[in-house]
Amino acid sequence: MSGKGLVDAERRRFNRLALAPSLIVLFMIAGLPAIYLVMTSLTPFQLINPGSSTDFSSPLRNYRLLPDDPRFVNSLWVQAKLSFWGVLFQVLLGMLLALLLHTQSRVVEFARTFFLIPMVLPPIVVAIIWKLIYTPDISPLYYAASLLNIAMPSLTSSVDFALTAIIIADTWEWLPFTFLMVLAALQTIPDEFSEAALVDGASRLQIFFYITLPFITPILVISGMFRLIDSVKAFPLVFLLTGGGPGSVTEVTNYYAYLLAFDFNEIGYSSAVTIVMLLLVVAVSLGVVWMGRRREAMV
Amino acid sequence: MSGGTGGPIRRPASVRRLVAIGVTLVVLLSPFLWLLQMSFKSNDLILQFPPPLIFTPTLQNYAALWQGAFPASFVNSLMSASFSTALALILGVPAAYALSRWAGRGKHALSFAILVTRMAPPIAFTIPFFLFYRWIGLLDTVTGLVLVYTSFNLPLVIWMMQPFFETVPQSLEEAALVDGASTRIVFLEIVLPMVTPGIAATAILCFLYAWNDFFFALILTRTNARTAPVAVVNFMNYEGWEWGKIAAGGSLVMAPVLIFSLAVRRYLVSGLTAGAVKG
Repeated sequence: MSGKGLVDAERRRFNRLALAPSLIVLFMIAGLPAIYLVMTSLTPFQLINPGSSTDFSSPLRNYRLLPDDPRFVNSLWVQAKLSFWGVLFQVLLGMLLALLLHTQSRVVEFARTFFLIPMVLPPIVVAIIWKLIYTPDISPLYYAASLLNIAMPSLTSSVDFALTAIIIADTWEWLPFTFLMVLAALQTIPDEFSEAALVDGASRLQIFFYITLPFITPILVISGMFRLIDSVKAFPLVFLLTGGGPGSVTEVTNYYAYLLAFDFNEIGYSSAVTIVMLLLVVAVSLGVVWMGRRREAMV
Repeated sequence: MSGGTGGPIRRPASVRRLVAIGVTLVVLLSPFLWLLQMSFKSNDLILQFPPPLIFTPTLQNYAALWQGAFPASFVNSLMSASFSTALALILGVPAAYALSRWAGRGKHALSFAILVTRMAPPIAFTIPFFLFYRWIGLLDTVTGLVLVYTSFNLPLVIWMMQPFFETVPQSLEEAALVDGASTRIVFLEIVLPMVTPGIAATAILCFLYAWNDFFFALILTRTNARTAPVAVVNFMNYEGWEWGKIAAGGSLVMAPVLIFSLAVRRYLVSGLTAGAVKG
């Protein structure tokens, strides 16, 4: 009894020693910055005006300015469009790709790896790749269009196409992610269901809509939400392809916050924009966790 | 997956399906291949249309990179990614072990905190880090980058390593404890050797995340600690659109990523979704 008690005490001491350094470091490099960000968002801090960093005389000023800032409201709208179309295409095309590659074959299993390449490339390399495709002088796309006698506008500097150009590049980059997740889900569907349906004379389309789709719907939703969260981070593509332009057609909230802080030196206001973005991300993350729990409970 | 075939009946691939897969693969990878072939062309050849199907590859773009400031930035990338990976592993692996053996309260809250750290847009960290570094003089240093990268690599290690520790049978540990070994000895000499593959996979993922970073390096470095991704982009701004060098630089930046990530592809998803879905 006392021996067991000793072992337990020793174990607890070990656990504390093992956890403490990580928790302290995490607090210092993630917790403190978060607190600092909140505090800065309550000041009118500008880099050229150092005294303003501790000016808490009107703490909610920045947040009151937000709803009337047309550029901020526009950036939310741009972000919504980018996220909606990006996530939709990624989930749909990822699902189709997974259905195509869900087959028993050594060759296909080997080929799967190559489909993952866009996702693992450094994001800045993805941006460079699409910069090459969208630059008329050196682009095979523009050459092909000229062969077909189509006069293609410069996509990334056109008001109508700039956001579409970014959505295409973003979809290319993240399609492998939804593909991988859906493929994993497909592999867990028990055979008996579709076999029984086949015996009963169901068509392949019917099997898809009545058996496969209900099975993979949760994973479609979850992978879509993950992409939704990460779509807020889209920076290299916007930075390199359009710089937020033309005008502010592709200026997502993340990019606006970056411009505010590091181009216009409005650190305080930029922090407030970032906090709003962070709250949105946390809300979606909570949704993901809730979905994940519900799914675990279902299975 | 030999037993269950699942879903839309998994029959052996038909020729039609194989052709469709092949075509899709070529179409999907063509933008990537375009960058790669461009890196082996002279600038004149890059501007030439229709593009010649067969050309003599040249290494002049890579040679030009070697003579400039690019190798230094490559070394910066290598150092900041390696050191932050090492730091995250040293701190995170014991913590993950303790968490995997601990069923106490607060575990869910901690997991959620880790998820949020992973999900937060980089700009949320950049503003505080920028101000702080400006104050203590860590701007444009590799040390500064290592600290920032640890802020997302440490949560990743804690998250990724727990399932690996859970696969180690507790009976093994208990037997050693009964024999009088301390928990520290059990951890170092029995448990750690059993999770080496997990540590390797986690290390590679950490390295990749740090290596792939563009945003932090863009803001927190200038010239001394500039990393390779930022250096490549600078070819566009200052040296007059040298497409050959841009393509070669991009290819060099993605080379280690391609090699490593194919080695850990099994863990890619659990690394990316850390928090909500069990890999």
